[in-house]
Amino acid sequence: MRRAILLLACVSLLATGCGESSRASGGKIVIAVDVPVTGSPYVAQTIRHGVALAANNLNSGGGIIVGTHTYRLAVKLYDNHLSARQAVEDTRRALDAGAVAIVTDGTGVDATWQLADRDHVPICITYDGGTGLADAAKRPNVFRIAPTNHGIAFRFAEYLIPKGLKVGLLHDDSAYGQEGAADIGRAFSGNPRSVAVRMTLPLGATDLSPQILRARRSGATALLVWGQPPTIAAVLTAARSIGWDVPVYTPPTGADPFIRQQLADHPGWVDGLTFAAGRLTAEVGTGPFQSFESQYESAYGVDKVGVKTSDGRPVIEPPELAMYAYDFTHVLVAALTRAGSLDAGKVLAALNEVTTQGANGDERGFNRHNHDGVVDDDVYFARFHDMTYAPVKDDPLSSTLPVIPQTP
Amino acid sequence: MRAFARTGGFVAVGALAAAAAAGAQRPQQVVLPGPVPYPTDSPPLVGGGVLASAYIAPGLHIASTERVRVKVDGTGKPNAIHVRQQLTVKGKGDYQVAVSGPIEDVRRGPGSQSEPGFRADQVLWAGFSPGTKQLAADIALRVPPAVPYLPLRLHLTREDGGVTLTVTNATTTPVMSYEGVVKPTEIARLLDATRRSSLAGKRVKAAFATFLGTVHVPRRPLQIEAPLRVRGELDLPGREPVTFSRVLGDGQPLSFEVHAEGSGEPELDVSASPAPVVHLLRPPGASTWAAAIRRRPIPGAELLSRLIGARFRLVRADQYQTFLADPDADGHSRAVYEYKTVAAQGPQHVASPARGGGGGSDALVIVLVILGSLVVAGGGLVVWAHS
Repeated sequence: MRRAILLLACVSLLATGCGESSRASGGKIVIAVDVPVTGSPYVAQTIRHGVALAANNLNSGGGIIVGTHTYRLAVKLYDNHLSARQAVEDTRRALDAGAVAIVTDGTGVDATWQLADRDHVPICITYDGGTGLADAAKRPNVFRIAPTNHGIAFRFAEYLIPKGLKVGLLHDDSAYGQEGAADIGRAFSGNPRSVAVRMTLPLGATDLSPQILRARRSGATALLVWGQPPTIAAVLTAARSIGWDVPVYTPPTGADPFIRQQLADHPGWVDGLTFAAGRLTAEVGTGPFQSFESQYESAYGVDKVGVKTSDGRPVIEPPELAMYAYDFTHVLVAALTRAGSLDAGKVLAALNEVTTQGANGDERGFNRHNHDGVVDDDVYFARFHDMTYAPVKDDPLSSTLPVIPQTP
Repeated sequence: MRAFARTGGFVAVGALAAAAAAGAQRPQQVVLPGPVPYPTDSPPLVGGGVLASAYIAPGLHIASTERVRVKVDGTGKPNAIHVRQQLTVKGKGDYQVAVSGPIEDVRRGPGSQSEPGFRADQVLWAGFSPGTKQLAADIALRVPPAVPYLPLRLHLTREDGGVTLTVTNATTTPVMSYEGVVKPTEIARLLDATRRSSLAGKRVKAAFATFLGTVHVPRRPLQIEAPLRVRGELDLPGREPVTFSRVLGDGQPLSFEVHAEGSGEPELDVSASPAPVVHLLRPPGASTWAAAIRRRPIPGAELLSRLIGARFRLVRADQYQTFLADPDADGHSRAVYEYKTVAAQGPQHVASPARGGGGGSDALVIVLVILGSLVVAGGGLVVWAHS
């Protein structure tokens, strides 16, 4: 009898063992997120949420399989304070922590990529579209899923020049503004007659009236403002307060909640503001993005802009940056799976060879010659009305895109 | 899609043949060759990797124009192959496509409105067409896997007082044909329709022929080729170039020789492009086949053989219009193949596409291990010899 019980116990132990996954647990895979928690909290939070959402989804499905082991993803947060020096320190710490990849807004990448490259660790930028930040030939470990300045600039030229506008090209003196100005300069270089004036604006200045008056006197019939959200808000304030209803165009920073918050007392000043961004929906429709948005909101709640529409509904911000971070996490996991090991060199090489379906239904991936995961063709234009925005109708791509709901 | 059509076509013919064997003298419709399947899997070339998923928005069409540039050495052997592929996207919508092949590298081609992506054995294109869009890529191919699918073989032989170039159509392939009792008037009508397509440079349309009774499959397969229009010149220093222009195939010889007098390094410049079937489809003594058989009866078997042979040749010619695939299987494709001599080069950069980050170091390790083994073995022999 005892033998029988022993046998049964052994069998049940074996059965228990067989019931578990046949793959051994490999432990945790760390993804570092280095973002400006202090400095640009909205950007930081949405990027972090995007990575965490992807990691949680994958973990709840049993983790990821790499070679013969299963792993769970762990997200480690670092605050770069919008400082390149801090980003370098964060990168060192992330590498020491064994991170397989670093997701960043782009702060300090010029200084951090070489550090990470020594260990063949990929860095993915999910916000800054600066030209040269991602360069497959020179920086083999830097990837980006975000619209590029180059693509935005050329799409603006393509969009604005045929309108016959005299464009005032304004930029602030932040690194972002200066990099954008260079790209815009190149994009408009073939059509100098379309440019009324070029001007640098001081970042942080609350009164830009002198500069805006000068732009008006130059004969500008449109302003393209490449700058941080406070600069854009200041330009709108200066122009509208003197009754100048000039159309204002901006890069993706034009959609930053800060601008609407600043101008909440004058919602009409925001009307007509047109910004360029990466499209949120693919040709398959709004379904995939809305599914992602729903997951995001279930996990973290809605990202409130802090303003209301004219009929009193609160405005929310679609999780665009989160989508890019989420997509990179999935591409990274596809690369880990393809590499079949945690060998950093193999994972880095595999990142050039895999494609996944992004949160908006588009394919996401990189290749050996291009580490930008958002193609220039995917840049669209949206215009504000009543504190929410909708794709414009006078651009071939934008006119095909649906409106993403921005009120609950 | 073409692969599916290939299988489907053979199944259709096979099923009909089987039905014919079982049936009596009832008339039956038999599928004629074309526009698909192609007689062989390549061209278009295929690569080693798994193709990224493709998407072409409904209503979007992609046409492909290819210029295949083949550098040959002093004997006519290819030592580099580059393709400039221009894709013209028509229509409004998204596209995400990949072109496969033994691809060594790719660069943006002149006039391209987008940047090509590059993965192991793939060129990637993704974007939005606002109505029309030009995509162009300069693609370097690995020579050994691509050479067997080039349409021409060139051979340069040096002799006293000159050099002889032999140009051979290399597209010949066996295909399964079929025979049976047919209605000459119907076959004559099909010959005329096929001829019109051929002369217009259009892909042949799907067609059926009525067979009365059993359909036979001859024991010996039919040898067909893509007719090629070949033009070029052979040049020796200090001499007038010898120019030539021929059609290889279409009932005419599949090779020819050109001799140039002189000495020194020969320079060769040859272009070839798939040509329509003209000679084999020319009706005897009339402007159409329908008129020709009214004028003088021609046996149905002879007409059928000509029809099948011509259609297979047109299919083969169409196949060589896509050395690299057109991502749109129904797209309009054109290819021209250019061969030029170049001074002897070092070995082409034929590095196999990376299959992960460790490929290079693995190869190094293998080489070191082999070298190490040789050293050890040699040392052992020395020790053994002195023991």
